[in-house]
Amino acid sequence: MKKNIVKYYPLIPVLAVYLIMFLIGFFMPGMWQMVALLAFYCALGQSWNIFMGMTGYVDFGYVTFIALGTYGMSLGITYFSQFEWLGMGIIVIGLILAMFLAALAALLEAAIALRLRGAYFAIACIGINEGLRYFIEGAKIWGGSEGLIFFGALTQSLGRETVNQLTTFWADFSVFVIAALAAFLNMHYMRSKIGYALTAVREDEDAAKVMGVNTTKYKTLAFLTSGLLGAAVGAMAWGLKLGHVYPGDVFVIHYTIECIVVVLLGGAGTLLGPVVGGLIYGLSKYWLAIIMPGFQLLIFAPIIIIIIVAFPEGVIGVLKQRVKRTALEKYIV
Amino acid sequence: MIFELLAGNLTHGLLLGGVYGVATMGLSLIFGVINVVNVGHGQFIMVGAFVTLILFTALGLSPVIAIPVALIIGMALGFLFFYTVMRKLIKAPELASLLATFAVGILLEELAKLIFGADFRGYYWDVGKIILPFTTIPMSKLYAFIGSIAIALFLYFWFSKTRSGTAVRSVIEDSEGARVCGVNVDWIYALSFAIGIGITVMSGVLLTMFIPVGINPYMGGAYTLKAFVIAVLGGLTSPYGAFFAGLIFGLVENGAYTLFALIPGVAPFSLTVSLAFWMLFFLLLVKPTGLLGKK
Repeated sequence: MKKNIVKYYPLIPVLAVYLIMFLIGFFMPGMWQMVALLAFYCALGQSWNIFMGMTGYVDFGYVTFIALGTYGMSLGITYFSQFEWLGMGIIVIGLILAMFLAALAALLEAAIALRLRGAYFAIACIGINEGLRYFIEGAKIWGGSEGLIFFGALTQSLGRETVNQLTTFWADFSVFVIAALAAFLNMHYMRSKIGYALTAVREDEDAAKVMGVNTTKYKTLAFLTSGLLGAAVGAMAWGLKLGHVYPGDVFVIHYTIECIVVVLLGGAGTLLGPVVGGLIYGLSKYWLAIIMPGFQLLIFAPIIIIIIVAFPEGVIGVLKQRVKRTALEKYIV
Repeated sequence: MIFELLAGNLTHGLLLGGVYGVATMGLSLIFGVINVVNVGHGQFIMVGAFVTLILFTALGLSPVIAIPVALIIGMALGFLFFYTVMRKLIKAPELASLLATFAVGILLEELAKLIFGADFRGYYWDVGKIILPFTTIPMSKLYAFIGSIAIALFLYFWFSKTRSGTAVRSVIEDSEGARVCGVNVDWIYALSFAIGIGITVMSGVLLTMFIPVGINPYMGGAYTLKAFVIAVLGGLTSPYGAFFAGLIFGLVENGAYTLFALIPGVAPFSLTVSLAFWMLFFLLLVKPTGLLGKK
């Protein structure tokens, strides 16, 4: 039993950071928005890292899941808010729909695209993302390019006071919960048979297959987990919080890039990495938006390039080497 | 009526397809040689478009002169980008090279926005037009098509007849083997990267004939995605495959648009774009080596 708990020690620093962030946001006036933004990046980085960090596959179309999650929540609220008796149940329905859409997409994508490797996989994922976006716009399903606007419906069925609470606090709070859940699942996978199988896939997929590892099963599992968590973040932080969704706003590859930057800054394949990366990225983005609005990307692009070329292991990757054979080793993974 | 419309649109599609082909050859060449997917590909097309626009509006030079200028600028950018960034990433995992090329794309976009602003611009190169029974073709489009064939042929001869072209082919085939045979592989990497970017910037010049008011710092992304579809259609590592795939793509795109426009209650433009990606996905599934690629 003791051994079982020991293996979850690296979660301590991660959860501690989330707790501190939450407390800062909760008790210091005016900090909540910033903390929520940071939690958003941490959660997405952590979720994306579950699949990429362990398998080495680069899912460039990850934003598909976030977008489908947003759509799930939006559809749930749009179509079920007319039933008064459901009350808060519409949010549960929205979340279920989000999970359902994301699971469907993840399984389909896994069944087809995961057979491809390297660049082909990345291109296929981008293809699915763009294909979905333009299909929604072109076939005019779910409101087409006009999107779904459901803030009014939400207010009408739950009352202004509740909705205010939901959008300004509970939506962001749930992002914290998802981030913590993602960290836990990541740790759990790392320290179980799944993690070993996926590491084998990353190092040499063909060899792993020959040795009898069911690579497809484990890859699909990690892909699905990563996608569902992304969809949950989308449902809460975009769907519920904003009250509208447009295909041109959510199926945007730039958000995948943000996930990648977060993970790469912190260290790909590490547990603490996405948290550190999310903090660095979120804070610098927030700060740059204040001091030089409109120029964030111009400044970020060269920084990203320098980081990739100069220190590809990320902050935690470097730190991990430093703390080897010290007491801290157990906590930094 | 519908056949006339279709014939007209397919003609335009074929002309545009040639330009698409050239616009994708660079992507395929770079992927073939250094095994990196240039996710910032379309932004180099945007550079070419702006080069043409400036030469035309500020200096009054015809787009014909813009073609060699674009090649030189593109190759210079290619060498710069290769020696500062890509050289270190050839052996790195895909994550690094994908992100780095994307970041370069963003950098180009933002620089273009800083210099030219985010407005849509365009120019009109008036060189007459041909009137066919079913459609009217501006001569500028025809010249762009002829230019694309010339560039493709030029690349073909460079590839098959010159020493450096042969070296590039040998590196695509087997870089270690080529190294053993005395090919300066590192130089070939740099050269083919620069040529790949050069062709791409050049294709931006040709593309401007098709987008009268579509020159904008953010125009590149759409072309990156189209280039992916075309490159996969052509086998991803083969520049000639890419050229022919471009022709096919141009025809399919315009043909499908014409047909989708007949369906009531849909947005035909978006459906056409979406069709391209489903095509890509399906192709990757059944034949990842491309329609024209070898087994």
